Amino acid sequence: MTLLIGAPEIGYALTVVALALALWGGAAAVTAARAGRPALLASAERAAVGVWALITGCMLVLVHAFLTFDFSIRYVAANTNRGTPFYYRITALWGALEGSIILWAWLLGLYTLIVVTRYRRRQPELYPWVLTVLLAILAFFLLVMTVPAPPFERLSPVPPDGRGLNPLLEDSGMITHPVALYLGFTGFTVPFAFAMAALALGRTGEEWITITRRWTIIAWYFLSLGLLIGGWWSYHVLGWGGYWAWDPVENAAFMPWLTGTAFLHSVMIQERRRMLKLWNLTLIILTFGLTLFGTFLTRSGIIGSVHAFTQGSIGVFFLTFLALVLLTAFSLLAWRLDRLKGQGELDSIVSRESVFLLNNVFLVAASFAVFFGTIFPLLYEAVWQEKVSVGGPYFNAINIPLFLGLLFLMGVGPLIAWRRASIESLRRNFLKPVLAGVVAAALLRMIGVGNALVLLAAGLVVFVAGTMVLDFWRAARARRRTGDGWRAATIGLLLRQNRRYGGFVVHLGILVVALGVAGSQAWSLQTEATLAKGEAIELGGYRVRFDGLDASEESNHAKVTGTFSVTHGARPVDVLQPAKKFYPQEQTPIAYVDYRLGFLEDVYLVLGDFARDGSHATIKVQVNRMVSWLWLGGLVLTLGTVLAVLPDRRRPA
Amino acid sequence: MSRLRWAIPLAVLPVIVLLAYGFWTDPRGEVKSPLVGKAAAPFTLSTFAGAPVSLDGLRGRVVVVNFWASWCIPACYEEAPVLQDVWRDYEHRGVAMVGINVQDKDDAARKFMEQFGFTFPNAMDVGGKVAVNYGVYGVPETFLIDKKGRIRERKVGAVDGEALRGHVERLLAEPS
Amino acid sequence: MKRRAKFLVGGAVILAALVYLVYAGVSQSVVYFVTPAELLAAPAPGKTYRLGGMVQPGSLVWEPRTLDLRFTLSDGKATVPVRHKGTPPDLFAEGRGAVVEGGWSGDGYFKATTILAKHSEEYKAPHDPSQAGYKELLKTLRAPQEPR
Repeated sequence: MTLLIGAPEIGYALTVVALALALWGGAAAVTAARAGRPALLASAERAAVGVWALITGCMLVLVHAFLTFDFSIRYVAANTNRGTPFYYRITALWGALEGSIILWAWLLGLYTLIVVTRYRRRQPELYPWVLTVLLAILAFFLLVMTVPAPPFERLSPVPPDGRGLNPLLEDSGMITHPVALYLGFTGFTVPFAFAMAALALGRTGEEWITITRRWTIIAWYFLSLGLLIGGWWSYHVLGWGGYWAWDPVENAAFMPWLTGTAFLHSVMIQERRRMLKLWNLTLIILTFGLTLFGTFLTRSGIIGSVHAFTQGSIGVFFLTFLALVLLTAFSLLAWRLDRLKGQGELDSIVSRESVFLLNNVFLVAASFAVFFGTIFPLLYEAVWQEKVSVGGPYFNAINIPLFLGLLFLMGVGPLIAWRRASIESLRRNFLKPVLAGVVAAALLRMIGVGNALVLLAAGLVVFVAGTMVLDFWRAARARRRTGDGWRAATIGLLLRQNRRYGGFVVHLGILVVALGVAGSQAWSLQTEATLAKGEAIELGGYRVRFDGLDASEESNHAKVTGTFSVTHGARPVDVLQPAKKFYPQEQTPIAYVDYRLGFLEDVYLVLGDFARDGSHATIKVQVNRMVSWLWLGGLVLTLGTVLAVLPDRRRPA
Repeated sequence: MSRLRWAIPLAVLPVIVLLAYGFWTDPRGEVKSPLVGKAAAPFTLSTFAGAPVSLDGLRGRVVVVNFWASWCIPACYEEAPVLQDVWRDYEHRGVAMVGINVQDKDDAARKFMEQFGFTFPNAMDVGGKVAVNYGVYGVPETFLIDKKGRIRERKVGAVDGEALRGHVERLLAEPS
Repeated sequence: MKRRAKFLVGGAVILAALVYLVYAGVSQSVVYFVTPAELLAAPAPGKTYRLGGMVQPGSLVWEPRTLDLRFTLSDGKATVPVRHKGTPPDLFAEGRGAVVEGGWSGDGYFKATTILAKHSEEYKAPHDPSQAGYKELLKTLRAPQEPR
């Protein structure tokens, strides 16, 4: 038997060496942590660098294989073909299971490098433990890359062409969504590692929280971004005009976001009042566990969903690792339980501590409810032997009240006093915003908005916005008294208290998203009809006329495009071209949505069936209102996050 | 209190057990093929070597019918050596294997067969009628037909050697 | 101590509210998954089901003008006629598995409000871009069209 050395073997060798290095590094780091051996620690650091370099090497080998049509690698053959466009050949890297594990590992390796450079001198005691945890997790992902999901399996004999990328992934949203999501998931690994280090050392104060504050914010941001991009992809690709379906895979990414948001807020309480130590540690463990669970859920196929991926032994690996992580983390927690008593107490229900606590309760309750709804079918089947599914209505029924409550808390929290708020301070801070909210709701009601939930949501949004405006204006006015002009006052305020006002802008982004959700759920319209050439259909004031069909061939698919003229009254709005794409590797044609984005409403067309001679087309028309506000909200979130993570002006960063 | 604290990590276990249970049960929404248990649709085709092959002529033997195509990557490439191996082991033991090539080009199909050294009869499904009769909507698909001519197993996707052998042995043990 | 009790009571109230919401939500929106045989054994009009089966080849009838879609789902033991308004999703075709959500009409057919499609990465269609049928489709659409 001849020894074959090609890309698959090189890639596999890199993976194995990286695994060995990660294991060595983890062992060296933990020994250095316990025995204080600087030489071992340096070796572990070098191992971490080496691991990242090797994973980068793996990625480069794979990308090179994609670009050169090297179908000797099974993963390349399964995910591209000679017709796949150039840029999708690169992003096909994370298009399926094996590649997405590489992406995760690479991002984690990158974060590990940042930790090495940043904390090696600044946190000499925590650092070895943090490094241990990160290397151990890296080792796990490398183990997955070596055994159950190896990306470098050889295909022999080499096929002449590949299968091709899943056409649903040939989209800009699908290029960015996994990256953003994984930046978020892996981002939470660092606070988790610091939390474990703090427990191992018994340093259960606020140190680990202060150090990882920016990590948490940035991880949270990317997770939010990833969810929004996922919604955007669902909206403009999947053809049902919706952005969220409470699908198990979506829920899997939503749960860590919920607990992550709770964590983001509750650490502020610990920083200020030294309370909730146990709670914060539990939250970060849960969040990290949920990111693993989310990956496990998506990649093992245990719960059937529209996006179910192939099953394999990967589920066993993830479940075992998840069990190990949770058992170890909670055991550490139990071991240090006596050092986790809070030093502050809740003085009054009407206080900032209490509001933050409620915020946490709501968020964790939502996460639990989503978790329960997602695994309930499993439970039910185990006990009653019947297959059931839990649909949208359940998730909406639970989450809508919780989120409305959270909106309210979002307005109260930043302004209410610590410890105990007096009636006077409550009146001063909240009377005007509450009035503004009530007035807004009343006005909406007067102009004809009947939907109670929308009225409530709108009123709450105005209330929250009102509190932010009031607070900012008062603070700016105070600065002005010291002699600054308005502009200098506002900019100075934003930069000086960037944490607070960055948070405000982020909250503003959430408000925009909330309005978008409320509006789109309440006011969107949909209809479907078959039109002959020249015939038109009307919806929401728009007139959509079928002009004709055309056929064309692209590099890796054939396309049938329908042309539709959209007018609003007498004014021409757009010419939309929804299509059906025929990919050779797909059993049925894939619909390609065309839409016109608007600030207040989108016109959205999906081509259904069509007559072979081009004389008729069945078209689904939607007028989706305020969906753009979700994407706008994402933009605002970005601005807020940037502001919030700026280096402190008051003391050296 | 100090003993009770260990309840915290232990509370993790029931959740893990539930998830593990979920992992080992069948995924939701899987539909068993309605063809299993029914008489296999007869077919008569002409092999690439020019000889006729018909299902009726194979009555009394365990028949493995495999639908494949040269452009079916990577699954057909993975299962082809498995099929050939199984064929070599069972061809004299009362098992018949027929490969049916769907929607393919003649030279590409022949090249595929040559690459994997197929020695069992393969025929092109001209007109695609056999694929329709077997409800085949993707390749590869493999059907196991017992000695009485009934479809007993249907595998969608690349076959696993051990599973295939297990099925074949089981069907061989049955009376004619 | 009184403060402690207050918080515990508050916590218990929140917990109770949550449990109630979850219970109510789940029991309202649990959807039973049935096969055609199971459904025909005890069809209950008014109850929401998810019906899974194979779309029987030859049973698909699509009326573009009225958007009426009709087909039969089979599990090898029983068949259920299904009616749906609107074009089916992308991955729906004869001879394939499909899951529909809806209710028993009481008139001998299943009224589907949604058709769920599942994308699988495992197989490839018996479809070759150079095959006749496919190219024919493109040819007829490229034929010079009648002026309106």
